[in-house]
Amino acid sequence: MNPVLGRRQLMLGGIAGTAAVGLGLSACSDGAGSGGEGGEVTHMQFFLSGDANQGGGYAHMAAKYQEETGIEVEIVDVANEDLTTKLKNAALANDLPALARVGSIDATWKDVTMDLRDILDTNDVKSELAAIDPDGKVLSLPSDITAVGMFLNKTLFDAAGATYPAVGEEPWTWDEFTETIRSVQAATGASYGMVMDRSAHRLKAFLYEFGSNTFELVDGAFETNENTKPALEYFYGLNDDSFMPRSVWLSDGDPNGLFKSGDVVAYCSGSWQIADFAVNIADFEWVSVYMPKQPVRVTNYGNAASIVVFEGTGQEQAALDFVNWLYTPENYTELSETSGFLPAVNGITVTYADNAEAFELYNEEIEASDEVAARLKTQDLEGEIEGRTIEGDPLRDETVKYLNDEQDVDTTIANIIELLNASL
Amino acid sequence: MMTKLRSYGPATLLLWVLVLIYLFPVAWFILSSFKPGSELFSLPLSILPENWTFSGYITAWNRFNFAQYFFNTGLVAVVTTVLTVFVSAMTGYALAKYKAKWLSVFFICILATTMLPTEVIMPSTFVVIRDLGLYNQLAGIIVPSVITATGIFMFRQYFKTVPDELLEAARIDGVGEIRAFFSIMLPLAKPIAVTLAIFSFQWRWNDYIWPLLVLNDPNRYTLQLALRSIVGADNIDWSVLLSASVISLIPMVVLFFVFQKQIMNADMNSGLKD
Repeated sequence: MNPVLGRRQLMLGGIAGTAAVGLGLSACSDGAGSGGEGGEVTHMQFFLSGDANQGGGYAHMAAKYQEETGIEVEIVDVANEDLTTKLKNAALANDLPALARVGSIDATWKDVTMDLRDILDTNDVKSELAAIDPDGKVLSLPSDITAVGMFLNKTLFDAAGATYPAVGEEPWTWDEFTETIRSVQAATGASYGMVMDRSAHRLKAFLYEFGSNTFELVDGAFETNENTKPALEYFYGLNDDSFMPRSVWLSDGDPNGLFKSGDVVAYCSGSWQIADFAVNIADFEWVSVYMPKQPVRVTNYGNAASIVVFEGTGQEQAALDFVNWLYTPENYTELSETSGFLPAVNGITVTYADNAEAFELYNEEIEASDEVAARLKTQDLEGEIEGRTIEGDPLRDETVKYLNDEQDVDTTIANIIELLNASL
Repeated sequence: MMTKLRSYGPATLLLWVLVLIYLFPVAWFILSSFKPGSELFSLPLSILPENWTFSGYITAWNRFNFAQYFFNTGLVAVVTTVLTVFVSAMTGYALAKYKAKWLSVFFICILATTMLPTEVIMPSTFVVIRDLGLYNQLAGIIVPSVITATGIFMFRQYFKTVPDELLEAARIDGVGEIRAFFSIMLPLAKPIAVTLAIFSFQWRWNDYIWPLLVLNDPNRYTLQLALRSIVGADNIDWSVLLSASVISLIPMVVLFFVFQKQIMNADMNSGLKD
């Protein structure tokens, strides 16, 4: 009988295995933490998500920085959904990167961030989008801005002979918008009038436009105004499987794919789609247009993400220097132009190589936005700093139940308030 | 001839239909990776690309250091698999062939670990790994994966079926315990070893969450970690994701063809817990 493994093979295997593990062990003790305390920093890690998808602006700036200073900023691109988990565990292992571009402030590491006040003031970064704690410490800076916006299938519009408000004209109301879309739908035989991402961020823009303040923390409890109910009822009316497909909000259908199919007249999404559409839509013409108002002109805008610098990495000063360098008008403009960012720094002019008119429209929409959007964004940031956490997203989740006829609109509003209050 | 066709015909036809049903999504997936991004969602949907392009592959290949990721993933999968099979065989053998009360208790303890989902023990495992200094090292994803109750159980059950007389005969002939294990018992358990090796390799190749938690340095990333970074906050670069996924499949497909015989013969133990 032939043994599976001879004794000699086995011993060799064992030695090789042990060696491999040992090699792994020893090879891994250098790396991330190079340039420890006191020493000169030559390498640091920058955790972020989706840079390569967005034109690689940060990688480009990191290369430029290395050219100028010799310091390597290593871009670590982590899947967006996992960035929070990753940073939490890095914090637990006491191995945080020098800096990160995060979706929100996390309680695990919020006490080990550096004060970014000087960078904020020196470079005139939009302070309303920075996370600032009650003592005035700046925990994070907005990396760039995204805003909710409307896209139209221009080819369908042209075929139907319909028009939309051009730049500089008075924006349309939701009533005018839906009427026009329905007429285009009827004339062209498009399957659906509009799709909207299944997200509270998009729904909030819709609610603001109807004069709602969504859910606002007043005197220690959440409340809403009288305009929320009619707005939600209007939204319910749109989800009739003819104007809007129910699959998107009720079963996570892909609105981006639906719009790209050319079979949907309008898509309520946001500025981050521009780059994607420019490359991945070839069958029809698309255009960015004003969000409808009813009667409030507003878009939901805010920081796409925030830059934080971590304390205790031994690389704090080097990281602060890099961030300061990144936010100087010249470099920040270059970053925004490479990645197609809406700038989070005041007073800079970004010249976009492609789809400039779409980006300008977004910048104009943000300028013209009612103050409610900024007010509620500040409230969100304060919540993050206080460490308020909540399971899921009450506004989105309860609205889905309402759309699915599981509960009426009053119960929906009451449930959202109750869930939000429970987080206090 | 007619009788043969009559008796086997319907079954063969049914199997072919099943093959086509299984093939369809894979074929669509692979063919889609050759479509430009603008064609992926355009109506009417088509199986074959209208304009064949390799742009997704070129972008994916340039963006990711596939050689490094294949090496990391391969190293982890191979080392873990070798250790898993070796340790499981020895443990299973001891539990099946040596009689002691504490061994039964020990066996129950091992089985009990299957009661806890991996996710539940993850935080504690993480702390152990961190304190052992294995954080951000490939060893940190190899060591916790070596012991699997499934593997030990498979070997124990198998060795139980091997008659004790065989072992006794060997002992009477003056064979030592170690030699008895390596020269007699292990060769007998080849089918189990192969089955476990295949499963272990697949588990480690596709592992995502644990490497995500333990590895910090992109140079040590495994393939799955790198692939998932394509999924952005609001956008997914489908053409790159499709192409990169196809590339990541290639080593597994090659391995399948190499070990086809063993894989097809292996007992079907799908649904086992890693």
